[in-house]
Amino acid sequence: MADDIASFNALQLDAIREVGNIGTGNAATALSGLLSRMIHMSVPQVELVSIYELGGHYGDPMEIVGAVFVRSTGGFQCSLIFIQNEEDASLMVELLLKQQFGSYIPVDELPQEMVDSALSEVGNIVLSSFLNAINLLLGTQHQISVPGVAHDMLSSILDVVASIYGQMGETALLVNTELSVEGLDEGRKISGHIILIPDPDALDLLLRKLKVL
Amino acid sequence: MAENSIVLGMADLLVMKAPVKLITLGLGSCIGLVLFDNVAKVAGMAHIMLPDSRGLTGSEKVGKYADTAVPALVEGMLKQGAAQSRIRAKIAGGAQMFALPGINAEFLTVGAKNVRETTRRLTGFGIRLVASDTGGNKGRTIEFSTSNWMLKVKTLGKGVNEI
Repeated sequence: MADDIASFNALQLDAIREVGNIGTGNAATALSGLLSRMIHMSVPQVELVSIYELGGHYGDPMEIVGAVFVRSTGGFQCSLIFIQNEEDASLMVELLLKQQFGSYIPVDELPQEMVDSALSEVGNIVLSSFLNAINLLLGTQHQISVPGVAHDMLSSILDVVASIYGQMGETALLVNTELSVEGLDEGRKISGHIILIPDPDALDLLLRKLKVL
Repeated sequence: MAENSIVLGMADLLVMKAPVKLITLGLGSCIGLVLFDNVAKVAGMAHIMLPDSRGLTGSEKVGKYADTAVPALVEGMLKQGAAQSRIRAKIAGGAQMFALPGINAEFLTVGAKNVRETTRRLTGFGIRLVASDTGGNKGRTIEFSTSNWMLKVKTLGKGVNEI
């Protein structure tokens, strides 16, 4: 891996941000197609976060969130999380089911397996689209795992990031973008974060492929 | 006498005289390790992230790894007047938050390794593990109170388990 994550220069950080931009653009297009809605995407942020402060970095560590996690292996090895607060995850599932079956069903009336399956489907489409775009950009081959779904405290979920970066040092490099679904009833908005977690030892490859190392 | 409540963050390690309440929020694959001596009235907690420092401690927090946290916590207990023969341990945490069929990445199963290594290190010091709530796929919030020497483990959807 790069000797010290904190020592990346501005050009390198910009290049990593651009990877996030291309991945998120494709993810937003896919989500828009799935839900037949306008999707707004934020400017991706490359974040260097102390592994000791991950729990509080994205909000209240105790907040209950829904998260979909995939692992990508091959040329550029990384993990991705699609994370939403629990309320937004429920709205997303209701919207998807309404889109697919034409009728509105509150999540409270659905079996948990069906909710998880729908959430996993949304996450899978968003994250696969993200990965397809960045691997095309990098010219790398990749395989994507089956998605894993969890509903839990934000801080417990983010332990997985600490486990990935903790053995190598004390700082994690993450690329964070927010997607939001617009044009819903009563001015509501559904948001979700895509967090790209490159394997620490895949960062050199990423920078070489982008010709900034 | 009122208890002081202290919340420990990632890789924190602390030993206090009673009365005290030691808290760790949202443990996923991490471990909350409690040591206590109810005669000397001393308790300590560590929020352990990974099993093995692999010799790479440097300036890092000792609470981060099981192999460095257990000796440091025992030493802290002895300094505060605990007797090694009386120290008991309780642990909680070590969940696997995500299971991905067909994927065998080391970081996904780090929770179980944290439990195994912490337990092994305790055995090395002859410290008896008297209670544990570990594994599974749910996060935990824990509180240890010296008022009854019990560890409250809160799990989403499962309520509170006092061990």
